[in-house]
Amino acid sequence: MTGLALKMLFGDTAKYVMLIAGLFFATFLIVQQASVFCGLMLWTTATLKNVAAPIFVVEERVEQINETNPMRDTDVDRVRSVSSVRWAMPLYSGIQRVRLSDGSFKTVQLVGIDAASLAGAPGRMVEGRLEDLRLPNTVVIDQLATTRLASNPKDPSTKIKIGDRFEINDVEARVVGICEAMRSFTGGPYVWTTYERALQYTPPSRKMLSAVIAAPVKGMSVEEAAADIERTTGLRAYVNHTFGKDTKDFNTSTVWWYIRNTGIPISFGTTVIIGFIVGVAIACQTFYAFVLDNLKHLGALKAMGMSNVKLSMMLLVQAFTIGIIGFGLGLLATSGFAMGALKNGQPPFFMPWQIPVCAFVAVQLICMLAALLGIIRLSLYEPAMVFRA
Amino acid sequence: MILITKLVRYGSIAAAIVGFYAIFMISRTQAARQLPTSSDPPIIPPQKPYVEAVAATGILEALSENVAIGMPSPGLVSSVWVKVNDLVKKDQPLLALDNRDLLAEQLSTRAQHEIARAQITVSEAQLAKLTSQLARLTAVADSRAVSLDDLENRKQDVAISQAQLVSAKAQLAATESSLKRIDLLIDRLTVRAPRDGSIIQVNVRSGEYAANTPKNPAMILGDIDKLQVRADIDEQNASRIRPGQAAHGYLKGDPTVTFPLEFIRVEPYVIPKTSLTGSSTERVDTRVLQVIYSLTRPSDPPLYVGQQVDVFIEAPDHHPKP
Repeated sequence: MTGLALKMLFGDTAKYVMLIAGLFFATFLIVQQASVFCGLMLWTTATLKNVAAPIFVVEERVEQINETNPMRDTDVDRVRSVSSVRWAMPLYSGIQRVRLSDGSFKTVQLVGIDAASLAGAPGRMVEGRLEDLRLPNTVVIDQLATTRLASNPKDPSTKIKIGDRFEINDVEARVVGICEAMRSFTGGPYVWTTYERALQYTPPSRKMLSAVIAAPVKGMSVEEAAADIERTTGLRAYVNHTFGKDTKDFNTSTVWWYIRNTGIPISFGTTVIIGFIVGVAIACQTFYAFVLDNLKHLGALKAMGMSNVKLSMMLLVQAFTIGIIGFGLGLLATSGFAMGALKNGQPPFFMPWQIPVCAFVAVQLICMLAALLGIIRLSLYEPAMVFRA
Repeated sequence: MILITKLVRYGSIAAAIVGFYAIFMISRTQAARQLPTSSDPPIIPPQKPYVEAVAATGILEALSENVAIGMPSPGLVSSVWVKVNDLVKKDQPLLALDNRDLLAEQLSTRAQHEIARAQITVSEAQLAKLTSQLARLTAVADSRAVSLDDLENRKQDVAISQAQLVSAKAQLAATESSLKRIDLLIDRLTVRAPRDGSIIQVNVRSGEYAANTPKNPAMILGDIDKLQVRADIDEQNASRIRPGQAAHGYLKGDPTVTFPLEFIRVEPYVIPKTSLTGSSTERVDTRVLQVIYSLTRPSDPPLYVGQQVDVFIEAPDHHPKP
């Protein structure tokens, strides 16, 4: 029976290609757009990923990492004084302008970390030594900066190397290291320096401390320590795991801030929904036409005594098969896009496992809907009609 | 035609299988690209030595505080007799200011002194002359030979001359004390150590102009065998501080250097915090309670006056546990 169903399906090449194409577009639009959206949202939390600290303590009303309200320097000592804190260090994070040798300006994401412990330093160095950050006027840049800050980004020979210099707000910065880092939402590369020097690079203001990064004492969970910090100091303490349900997680809080306050989810959501609708429209219409075409054969089978249930199963098998193949083709196209995106670092692309699973369910839903229309048409069909024509 | 049908059929199935495989590989690559999650920093920051502690930022000072040597009056420095690190005793001369104006005055006063002395001799001779004249008149036995008026005049002359001698002596005494005054003023221009200690900083060299600015003292004197830490505690934590609480210090920049601290006193006056964190512009944004601790200087590694220290003070947490 299954063999018969598949033979019927593959027999009509034109309709088969049409069905596959519809589902392919639906899959591609849903998976690719959802992944780009997730990638973009992940970029908003780039500072949290690049400064890998278990706890971020920020001013009471701060909701997201890219927009912090500065605190006083003594707040580091206040956080340190909390019993459940093993260590606490100051962190500066802000957008600054870099002046290149040819006079052009680029914005960078400047991160200032404690010089002694280097807490908040990049996780993976590609070149150079992190300890050299203690030398005067030195910075560590990420791989993006090597081309972004080059005088001619297209020409690899002008890439920024160790030992090259540029200016941040008229103060010299010498590159002593290159590291791996996630891209920031604003598109600027990350530049690490020590906290004290970050204050020199930044135009002075009354309060400069963006956040305090901290770790809990051994044997205490991050969440407990964060709650303890909030209770004792009155500051806001976020944990730094990953996006999830936990509103005490800075990633979650940051992403939700962007979802609430920007038009990004609407724009991507519309595309995903349109993908779904296109899939439904093409698949249902074509599959219905396919059933109509084969109505004679199906009617003959019915007249031969095949039950409605068995015929429905045949249609479901056909729908399921095109669903799988169309989905596979969609994934292939998405993979092609993803390979390019991961290689260049942009456009943003991040695909959690939930996206393909949800897309699979959506595509199968489209197929089952299409099959349902066929089944309804078929069940209304009288077997005697075959002989009448 | 059949070939195309077959191609489409098997091609699409094969492509779909490749698609599943590719997306699996993409998600693997993506996972490998993830940055390492939170871990300890490259150099472990100072560990809290106590379960409940107040953290503070401190600065190393010489015990009994650093003395900023003041100038008696602004002026040109003529010679500096000490170098940085010299051990000095109380009242040992440190530097001298230019005293040529006073020396010049001394010269003229000395001349005055000589004049005054000569004046005494003149007065004495005058007195002797008048006294002998009076003696001769009084020695005449016949009272008619000498007029009474004459005798009276002679007596008056002697009295005047005696007064002149007294005045000349007073003049001499005046020039003598004037000389003493100039000596004192010259001595004042030699700056001496107010107490035993070491020279920590020398900011003047001979030939420079030394002014009396409290921000930039000419010299700093202190006792660097024993150091003290002045710890700034945020006013929000000030209520947890009691006299006599144990404390530990960690050298800023090298958390492996740790030393126990001995309580000396709590400064009773809460002052505005001056930023110790390296910015050139001083930012005052909170008030701090200062607590003073002493420490004996470890032989290795050397500690220097003025270094920053992270201080942890054992102090119970007042906040109620939930």
